[in-house]
Amino acid sequence: MTIQSPHAAPPPAMVAVLDDDEDLACTIARLLIRHGFAAQAFFDTATVSAALDRQVFGCLVSDIQLGTTDGFAFAESLRSRVPSLALVFMTAWPTTTHAVDAVRRHGGLDYLEKPIDTDRLVSAVSEGLNWSERERRILTLTALFTRREREVFDLLVRGHSNKEIAERLAISARTVEDHRAAIVAKTQTNGLAQLIALSRGEGTPPLPR
Amino acid sequence: MPEAEPREYSGFPVSGKPAKARAVMDWTKTISAKAGGAHIGAADLTADLARRYAPDLLLLALYGLAFAALHWAAHPWGGGGFFSLWYPAAGLRFAALWRRGLAITPWLMATELCVDAMTGALPLTGSGVIHDSISIMRPALAYAAAIAIARSMAGRLSGHRGESGSEPVTAAPMRLGIAALLAPVLNALMFVPLELALPPTAGPSAIRVQLVVSLTGLALGDLLGIIVLAPPLLSLARFYRSAERRALTMPGWRLLVPGAVILGASMWLTVALWRAGLGAQPTPLLLAGAWIGLRHGRTAAWFTILAVVALFLPYSAGPLGDGERLNLHLSLAAVAIVTWLSGCYADTQKIAEDMLARRNRLLFQAERLKTLRAMSVAVIHEISQPLSTLAIEAGHLKSRTADLDADIAQSAALVDRKAHTLSELVRRLRRFGGRSVDEPSPLPLCMLLQSSVQMVAPELRSAQCQLVLAPVPPDLTVHAQEIELSQALVNLLRNAITAAADRTVRMSTQMRGDDAVIRITNAVSARSAPPSASGAGMGIGVIIARTIVEAHGGMLVRDDEPGFVHMVVSLPLHSPRSGTET
Repeated sequence: MTIQSPHAAPPPAMVAVLDDDEDLACTIARLLIRHGFAAQAFFDTATVSAALDRQVFGCLVSDIQLGTTDGFAFAESLRSRVPSLALVFMTAWPTTTHAVDAVRRHGGLDYLEKPIDTDRLVSAVSEGLNWSERERRILTLTALFTRREREVFDLLVRGHSNKEIAERLAISARTVEDHRAAIVAKTQTNGLAQLIALSRGEGTPPLPR
Repeated sequence: MPEAEPREYSGFPVSGKPAKARAVMDWTKTISAKAGGAHIGAADLTADLARRYAPDLLLLALYGLAFAALHWAAHPWGGGGFFSLWYPAAGLRFAALWRRGLAITPWLMATELCVDAMTGALPLTGSGVIHDSISIMRPALAYAAAIAIARSMAGRLSGHRGESGSEPVTAAPMRLGIAALLAPVLNALMFVPLELALPPTAGPSAIRVQLVVSLTGLALGDLLGIIVLAPPLLSLARFYRSAERRALTMPGWRLLVPGAVILGASMWLTVALWRAGLGAQPTPLLLAGAWIGLRHGRTAAWFTILAVVALFLPYSAGPLGDGERLNLHLSLAAVAIVTWLSGCYADTQKIAEDMLARRNRLLFQAERLKTLRAMSVAVIHEISQPLSTLAIEAGHLKSRTADLDADIAQSAALVDRKAHTLSELVRRLRRFGGRSVDEPSPLPLCMLLQSSVQMVAPELRSAQCQLVLAPVPPDLTVHAQEIELSQALVNLLRNAITAAADRTVRMSTQMRGDDAVIRITNAVSARSAPPSASGAGMGIGVIIARTIVEAHGGMLVRDDEPGFVHMVVSLPLHSPRSGTET
């Protein structure tokens, strides 16, 4: 059911649309594809779980009531497996408590009432994909470092000097300088400003060596 | 007692002499001056006064006339130490007080004073004039006190429900019964302290000897008068005042015959026992009265009392000894009291049962509404699912067919538009039904009013009625459950639409202190009598509305002016500090 959009220049992350109403799931997937996203429709939780192992999803658009399964719980379980998955919820039974929960507790980006407002859906999904991409960059970046390097990096981008970092981590300033050199080498950056931009998910992450 | 003909009201003897009547005369003069002034009507103020007090003045004049006539009619049943053992004027006095409220007490006193002064029963000269005047005024005071006691007692017994504004409906007949018995007793009891406080006019020994007989006679006469005369007067007044004609529906034959048979039999038995030389035995009539009262209520009880009284009074008016007459009337009073109280009791029971049935119906209706709401919520949600698909696909179809030939493009555009209308509709409907489990939330009043108006729009059309909605201050927000509160407003609007005489209903909103005040106004034609005449179902709608508004910490008040009915809802304004995030 995957249809790649011709416009998307870099291969964008996939959007998963999950609803137990098959027609609606397909319709939304097609709508998203028309708007330039790569989208795939799913009708049950098992298929989504399986697909998550095979490819990268940036965003999940999910119904809250999936037959007997709770959409919130399922989305959260996916999030624990893929931390960079953006969540957008939709429902035919909107309540205020759900709306608040969707955003606060379950980390959803938006909570859409059916009948779906198309513009809102599209903007939520594109926002979700952006967020997801940023998250992924940061994750890729930090995956390069050793544990010590990550600690030094975190303090560096918060504006601490080498000396302060050395005091905090109880290591010598010399060692900090070594770690710093390794970080710069691994990220192929020059200067603190670029490191900070990287820590915010901006700029292109280095290709893994 | 020295006098040949003792005075009424009191049963205490009179010896009138020197002129001390100044105060009383002045008082009566003021009253008649007031009455006279009202008729001049030259100045606006006087005219206004006349309009406001004319009915009362007329009532007082009628009262005076009737009082004099009844007072005179009572004299054949007189006796030593008391004026009469059958005193119908007491019934008139009681009925006037019960009907017009206790505020009329001083005016009744004044009228009675005037009447007695005019008929010569109150000599305006003499030493005893103050004494006599006070004894003339005492009964009205005693009756007022009795009525006040009976009302407050019943109010306390039934908790706060008694004073919920709908008093005429919920007033227990038992209150009237208690007051009717309490009034003559209080009147007799007040005699003693008043007599002790006042300077004695006759030999103290004479009073003491006759005191018991005198007081008994006084209480008996008043009691019989009240029980026989007050109920028909009161129901006459009610009949005249409002459209409560159902009070006059006759019971069916099947109910009437056994009662009449029992009454007839017991009367026959009484007369037979009497003839047999056993004297007037009240027991058979007592039993019959209790049975009829309990079985058929107050109206039947009253007719029974009337029959019994009609049987005995002509006889007791004849040449009888005081003792014998007193005895006879004691029996008569016993029968009357028992019959009357059982009638009141039965009616009270009946009202309580009716109220219970009404509550049950309300409860049932609420239950049904709940089901209905759940159903409509389910329908809305079921529709919204396929509608989502439909709306999206229709939009797609429209954009893809835009450059095809006009016919196809038009069809697709139409489908798209209709799908959007439906989606809008579902979203709007969901606002009423969908959030049934919602917590109360801050709610702009303009939104609430608009949605209520939308909901009554079909009724407005079918009644060809116009709704004038004054601009709502946009910053007014209440903390409320929207569905419930709009239901309350819809109920009030519906009533207003049904009752509107000029087919116009007005709704306006304003801020008063910390409250938002919503006022729903409709004109009523002069003819349609106050609350209950405006069609079926009115009662329940207002009750529901009041319950909802009060649950929101607000108030629903009916504030009428001539020709207009205002229903005023006040709700506490929402303060932003206590806001909840939604």
